[in-house]
Amino acid sequence: MATDPAPSGAEPAATPAQSTLAQQTRPALFLAFLKMGLLGFGGVLPWARRVLVDERGWMTDREFAELIGMCQIMPGPNVVNLSVIIGARAQGPLGALLALTGILFFPVCVLLIIAVSYATVSHDPTVRSAFAAASAAAAGLILGTALRLLMHTRPAARGLCTGAAAFVMIGVLQWPLLWVLPALIAVALALEWRAAR
Amino acid sequence: MNTTAVLLEIAVRFGAISLFAIGGVNALLPEIHRVVVDVEGWMDSAQFAELFALAQLAPGPNAMVIALIGWQVAGVAGAFVATLAICGPSSIACYVALWWWDRLQGSPIRVRVQRALAPIAIGLIFASGYTVARAADRSIGAIALTLLATAALAFTKVNPIWVLAVAAALGAFGLA
Repeated sequence: MATDPAPSGAEPAATPAQSTLAQQTRPALFLAFLKMGLLGFGGVLPWARRVLVDERGWMTDREFAELIGMCQIMPGPNVVNLSVIIGARAQGPLGALLALTGILFFPVCVLLIIAVSYATVSHDPTVRSAFAAASAAAAGLILGTALRLLMHTRPAARGLCTGAAAFVMIGVLQWPLLWVLPALIAVALALEWRAAR
Repeated sequence: MNTTAVLLEIAVRFGAISLFAIGGVNALLPEIHRVVVDVEGWMDSAQFAELFALAQLAPGPNAMVIALIGWQVAGVAGAFVATLAICGPSSIACYVALWWWDRLQGSPIRVRVQRALAPIAIGLIFASGYTVARAADRSIGAIALTLLATAALAFTKVNPIWVLAVAAALGAFGLA
C-alpha cells in the first residue's frame, strides 16, 4: 500500500522518504504508530524501524538513522519526537498529533493495567523469571537494531569514530549526556565540513 | 494539597524536564529522582526504583515511567497529565525545529549535518542496548538470550514479538 500512485502536484525535490510519506492518509498514519506503541515491548525503536522501513517502506534505513539522529539532539523522548516529525511531514500539525496519540495510547493504558495488577503477580517466581528472560532478549532487540542500522548506513571512517565514541562515553563510561553530546556533535560536524572541502 | 494543585505541580515539574531531556528521558532519571523523591517527596527511593522496573514491562517509549509516577501521585488523571507534560513541550519544540529544518531542504548544510549525526545516533542506540543488557544479564543464559536476540534482529527479518515470546517462555520454564 506504500506504493499507491502519487497524487499529481506532489512537492518537487522531495527525498524518497518524504514523497512516499506525503501520500499517507491520516488513518494509515495513526494505525502505523498505534502498532508501534502496542508492540513496543522493551523499547519502541526496533518496532519503529521495522514498521517504517521493512513493512510500510516509508523510508530507507539511512533516512531512518538520519531522522533518529535529529531526534537525539532535540529534547524529549526520542520516539515521541520521531512521531511528531513523521506525522508532521505526512499530514502537518494534525498528523503530528495523530502519530503522537497513536504511539502513546496503548502504552499508557497497558501500563495502568500492569500497575494495578502488579501486586498480584509480583511474587510469582515463574512470572519473575519470564520477565527477566524477556528483558534480556529486549536488550538484544535494541542492540540488533543498532547493528542493522550500522550495516545498512555504512558510515565513513570519521562516522565510525564518532559513533564508537558515543557508545563508549555514554554506554560504557556513563558520562553525563548533556556534556558529551554537544562536544561529540561539534567534532562530528567539524570532521564532516573538513571532508567536504 | 488538593487534586488540582497536585496535577498542576505534576504538569509544571515534568513540563520543565521535557525541555531538558536531550537524548531521551532515561538519561535524566537522576534529575527526575531528585524532583520526585527529594524535592516533592511524592514517594521514597525504593518506590521510585519499583516503578522504573514496572515501566520496563509495558510496551511504549521508555518515558512511560513518567506515567507511572503520575499514577502513583494522583491516580489515572495524574498518569495522563504527567504523560502530556513530558511529551508536550518537547513535541512543540520539535515541530518548530522541523519547520526550520525543512527550509534547508536540498542544502548541502543539511546533508552534512545529517551525515554527521546518524553515526552518533547509532552509537547511542548501542549504548542504550548495552545499558539494558547490563541490568538484565545476570546469568550465562541471559547473556546468551541477549546475543541470540541481537543476531535475530540484525541478520533475519523475524518478528521481534516472537523473540520476546520465546525468551519469556524459556525463562518461565527455568531455562534462562
